[in-house]
Amino acid sequence: MNQEMIEQYVSGRLGRQEAEAFEAYCVAHPEFARQVEFEQRLRQGIREVARGSTEEFVRSNHPHRWRIALAASLVIAATVGFYAWTRGGTVRSQSTLAAVTAGTDRSGPVMRLAMVRGAESAPVLPDGTVRVEIVGLFDTGFHYTVSLDRLERGKDVENVATLYSQHPSSPISLEVEVDGDRLRAGTYSLRVRKQGSDEEPLDFGFLKP
Amino acid sequence: MDFVPGGELSRRIREGDSSAEAELVRQFEPGLRVILRRRTGGDHGLLQDLVQETLLIVLQRLRSSTLEDPARLAAFAAQTARNLAIASLRKAERQRTDVDSEATERNADPDGGTDELAADHEAALAVRALLRELPHPRDRLMLKRFYLDDDDKELICQELGLTEAAFNQALSRARRRFRRILEERGFSRRELLSVL
Repeated sequence: MNQEMIEQYVSGRLGRQEAEAFEAYCVAHPEFARQVEFEQRLRQGIREVARGSTEEFVRSNHPHRWRIALAASLVIAATVGFYAWTRGGTVRSQSTLAAVTAGTDRSGPVMRLAMVRGAESAPVLPDGTVRVEIVGLFDTGFHYTVSLDRLERGKDVENVATLYSQHPSSPISLEVEVDGDRLRAGTYSLRVRKQGSDEEPLDFGFLKP
Repeated sequence: MDFVPGGELSRRIREGDSSAEAELVRQFEPGLRVILRRRTGGDHGLLQDLVQETLLIVLQRLRSSTLEDPARLAAFAAQTARNLAIASLRKAERQRTDVDSEATERNADPDGGTDELAADHEAALAVRALLRELPHPRDRLMLKRFYLDDDDKELICQELGLTEAAFNQALSRARRRFRRILEERGFSRRELLSVL
């Protein structure tokens, strides 16, 4: 057993028999198991950080950009704080695509996306912040990546936003929040990919009028 | 020191030695956490419960001497953990069809896995610190591609212009730094990995 095997196990790349043998080895060898758990924690920590955005992974080290970003953050924070203070209410997330959490308002509009054989028309995204329920078969032991893409005939697919490490709300549904007001009119696709798996992603199309 | 399956410890447990039972729990717990962490989808309370339940079953089997082959004790414990995780998932699915999920959430044990959540939070903070410290944007991108996008090492190396040795070295450096940051934040490695 080595680091390579740990990586393969943690990323779900070992076959069933190999994984079972690996797990028995972990039970018999606690020090080795601690190394595996460390890798699971690191992976989980990274996914936790990337849950809202992957900005921290792709930013440059350029000092001026850093300062500009810091200044911009302060201005934004002050503006948002002022807005919240003057409105006396809570400030909603301003993401185009966001995770659904326990604190998500569930009274707003909902759009259900499912693979419907023979369906002739794509669902239409309502205005405002919409809770999107994606219906399919999900493995609750895994995390999923959800990408929101804009599709335009004759052009490359434009990725609008991506959410990592989303956990299905049940074995048959996964929920995300889409801010319809931040999308241009057009055809969009939500692509759901099981992380650490070779399974084909699921694609669900919808229209933004 | 690692457990020797079917050895002295099994015999002492069969004879009712409670210190041997405590020793078995210490030996098996890390491996069971690995197995169940993978199957409980971030539900720390459930992870905790299933580890305890697995250990209870293993100890009962050893006490009653009904384990056919004590040499395969680790494999038996691993299989028990997997079975319990599957049973728990099925039970949750059945409940979902019967019970209002919001009511279930309201009645959930608020203390379930609090320490684990704190450890997750620490891990996320350590990752943030690690990302700030990594000198090359390429290293951050490498972590993203490897841990988030689940891309093959070979493909990442090819696209980022790295040899496999350089990739492994950078990854190993990041892991060491992650561990040090956690330790600097007051979490020893053992503490971090044993909050249950």
